[in-house]
Amino acid sequence: MLVNIIYWLKQKQWLVVTFFLSLILYVLPTPDGLEISGYRVIIIVILFILLILFEPIPLPATAMLIIVLQVLFGIGSANDVASTFMSDSVFFIMGSLMLATAIISQGLDTRLALAIINITGHKTWKISFGFILFCALLSSFIGEHTVTAMMMPVGLTLIRNTILEGDKNKKLSALLLFSIAYGSAIGSIGTPSGGGRNVIMIGYLEQFGVAEITYLTWMKYAYPILLIQIPITAIILWRTFFPEKLILDSAVRKLKIQVAHSGKLSNQQILSILIFISIFFGWVFFSSTLGLGMISLIGVITYLSFGLIDWREINKNTNWGLIMLFGAAISVGVQMKETGAALWIANNFLNFVDNIFINTQFSHSIISIIITSSLTNILSNAATIAVLGPIIINISGDSIVLPMITALSSAFGFLTIVASPSYMIIYSSGLLKSSDFIRGGWKMMGTSILLLIIFSNFIWPLFF
Amino acid sequence: MKFLLAIGSKDFSGDTLHIGSQIALAFSAHLSIVYVGSKPKDLYLNRVKQAQENLEKWEIYHPGIDVLKWAFNKLKDTGFIKSKNSNDFNPANILESSGRYKMILPSTYGQKIDLILREGDLIEELRSEFFKEKYSIGIIGGSKDRNRSKDILQFLPSSIFITNNFKIGKKYKILLCVDDSKATKNAVKFAIIIAKKLNLDVTLITVSKIKTFKDGYKNAVKNAVKILKKEKINFTQEFVFGDPVSSFVKYANDDHIIIMGDSSKTILRKFLFGSKSLATLKKANSPILIVRNE
Repeated sequence: MLVNIIYWLKQKQWLVVTFFLSLILYVLPTPDGLEISGYRVIIIVILFILLILFEPIPLPATAMLIIVLQVLFGIGSANDVASTFMSDSVFFIMGSLMLATAIISQGLDTRLALAIINITGHKTWKISFGFILFCALLSSFIGEHTVTAMMMPVGLTLIRNTILEGDKNKKLSALLLFSIAYGSAIGSIGTPSGGGRNVIMIGYLEQFGVAEITYLTWMKYAYPILLIQIPITAIILWRTFFPEKLILDSAVRKLKIQVAHSGKLSNQQILSILIFISIFFGWVFFSSTLGLGMISLIGVITYLSFGLIDWREINKNTNWGLIMLFGAAISVGVQMKETGAALWIANNFLNFVDNIFINTQFSHSIISIIITSSLTNILSNAATIAVLGPIIINISGDSIVLPMITALSSAFGFLTIVASPSYMIIYSSGLLKSSDFIRGGWKMMGTSILLLIIFSNFIWPLFF
Repeated sequence: MKFLLAIGSKDFSGDTLHIGSQIALAFSAHLSIVYVGSKPKDLYLNRVKQAQENLEKWEIYHPGIDVLKWAFNKLKDTGFIKSKNSNDFNPANILESSGRYKMILPSTYGQKIDLILREGDLIEELRSEFFKEKYSIGIIGGSKDRNRSKDILQFLPSSIFITNNFKIGKKYKILLCVDDSKATKNAVKFAIIIAKKLNLDVTLITVSKIKTFKDGYKNAVKNAVKILKKEKINFTQEFVFGDPVSSFVKYANDDHIIIMGDSSKTILRKFLFGSKSLATLKKANSPILIVRNE
C-alpha cells in the first residue's frame, strides 16, 4: 500500500507541483493593472502549459479541469464558459482529424508511391527531394500528419529493401524519414488547412474583431515561403544525413513490384479525391461565409454518405480528448482577451522590449518568432498558438503581420519529437534517435527563422 | 514460477536474454519476454496509431515486434524454445488487451514462454505487467542511469536480477552475501538452484561493520554452509570487517554474480535513507540478484 502511494507521488510529481504552484499563485496578491479575473486566467494558462508539458493526467482530464476552473475561479458563468468552448476552429480540428482518417483509409499511398518513384527515379537525392516536394505540397492542403502517415510506408519500404541488401544505412533512414516529416512540416504553413493552429489564429483574429483572413489571403502570405523552403530543406537534409547509398535501384525496383499490383485507381479512390478537391474549393471560395470548420464537416458528411468511410473507423481514430483540449484552450484564449489578461501581458512585453531595442517593429517580429518556435519545441505547435495567439494579437494592434508571423513560426519546432505529430510518427519507426532531430533541426530552425524575418520585414511590405 | 525478462533492443539485450533464459531454465520457470517501447504523447497518440495501422497494410510492424522476433529466434537457437517450424513467428498474430500486446505463437503451445509488447514508461509498464501476472523474478539489463535500477528495485514487487555487464562465455562465480536479514534464507535458496543448474562455484561472504559477528550473522552463515555442503556445491568463505557495500562490490569485481537478500527496512525508510541492497545495486559492476523475503 505504502509503496503504491510513494510510487504515485513520484509518478505524479508534476501534478503535485502544478497544484501547489497554482495554489500559491492563487493566494498571492493580484499584480498592478490586472483585474482579479484576468490574474486567475493567467494562473489557468500556467496550469495548462504544465499539464500539457508533463501529461501527469490524461489530456481530456486537463481539458475538463480548465473548463471547470474557469467557473470555479469566477471568470465566467457555466453557460458563458460553455459558449466559448466550441468555435469554428474546434470544428475544423475535429473535421480535419476525421478527414485524415477518411483519406488515409482509401489506400492512396500505393498510388502516391508509384507516382513519386516514377518521377524521381532511383537516385537517392532525387527521391529525398521528391519526398520533400510532394509532402510539402500535399500537406499544405490536407494537413501534415495525414501526409506523413501516407508517406511513411513508402519511405520505410525503401529503407527496409535497402537494409536487406546489407548494413544498417542509418543516415539513409534519417534522410528519407526527415524528408517526409520536415517536408510535411514546412508544407503545413502554406494554407489555413495545412494545420489546425493556422485556423486557431484565424479564429482568434475574427473573434477579436481584428481581421477576416480568407484562404487565398493566407496563401499569398505563406505559400512563397513554403516554395523557397523546399530546396533549402533538401540541401540541409542532404548535407546533414549524407546517405550511405547514392542509388537505390534495387530498393526502388522492389517497391515498384510491391505497388504494381494496386492497378488502376478504383472508382472509390477517384470519388474520394473528387470530394477532397471539392472541399478544397469550398475552403477557397466559401470559408469567409461558411467557415473552414463547417466546410471540413461537410466533407466528412459526404465521405460518410457515400460509404467511403465507416463511422466506427472515424470514431476509433478521432482523439476526442484532443478536440476537448483545444476547445478548452481556445476558451481560455477568449477569456484572456475578455478579462484583459492578454492585454496586460502584451503591455508588459512591449514596455520591456521597447526599453531595450530601438527598432521596435523589427524587434517585435524577431522576438515573437523566437518565442513561438521555442515554445513549439516543448508544447506542440497548436497548443503554442492557442496560448500565444491572444497575446500576440494584443501586441500587434490592428495589423495581421505579427499574428501571421507567429502562426507560421509555430511550424519551426524542428528540434524535438513533441513539436509536431509528424515527428512523433517518424520517431515511432524506431529508426531515429531524439538527437537526430537536433542534428538537422537547428539548421532548419535557423534558416526558417531567417527566411520569415526577411519575408515579414522586407517582402510582405512591398505587396500588402 | 513465472519470470519476467525485459528487453530493449537487439544491440544491447542479447546477454540479458541469454543469462535470463538460463536462469528461467534452472528454476523450470515460465518466462515472459517483455519489450517496453516509448509511448507517443497523449496529444499525438491516435495519429501515431493511425500511421502505424497504415504501415501494417504494407506489412511493416511496430519496431518492438521486430525485437520480439529477434528474441524468439535467439531462444530457438539456444534450445529454450523447441520448434521445428522455421517460420513460426507471424508479426500479424498479436492480441491486444488494454494496451498490452501478446504474440500468438502456435508452435509454442504447452511451452513456458510468452512474448509481450507494451508502450509507455518502463517502470509503470513493468509494474502493470507484474500486477497482471504475479512474477517471482524480474530480469532486466543494466543501465547507465543507476536511478532506473533503483526505481526497479523499489517499485517492482518481486526479486530483481539486474544483468549489469554480463558477458556470454565469461566464467562467473556466485558471490552469496549472507547476513541476518529475513530475505537471506531465500537468497541462499536461489543461489543454490542457480549454482547447481549453471554449475557455478560460490563465494560466501559475510561482512560486519563492527569488530565482531552478531549471532544472527553466525546462524545465517551456519545454515547456508549446511545447505551448500548438502547440495555438494564448491564454495569458499570470506569473513570481512568493514563497509558491507564496498566489500561486496570489491569481492564481486566483474566476474561474480552477486546474490543477496533485500533489506528488511520499511519501504518509506528505504525510499528516504536507502538500504544495503540499493547501495550495492547502484555501485556494482557485475550482475546482481536481489531476493525478496516473500
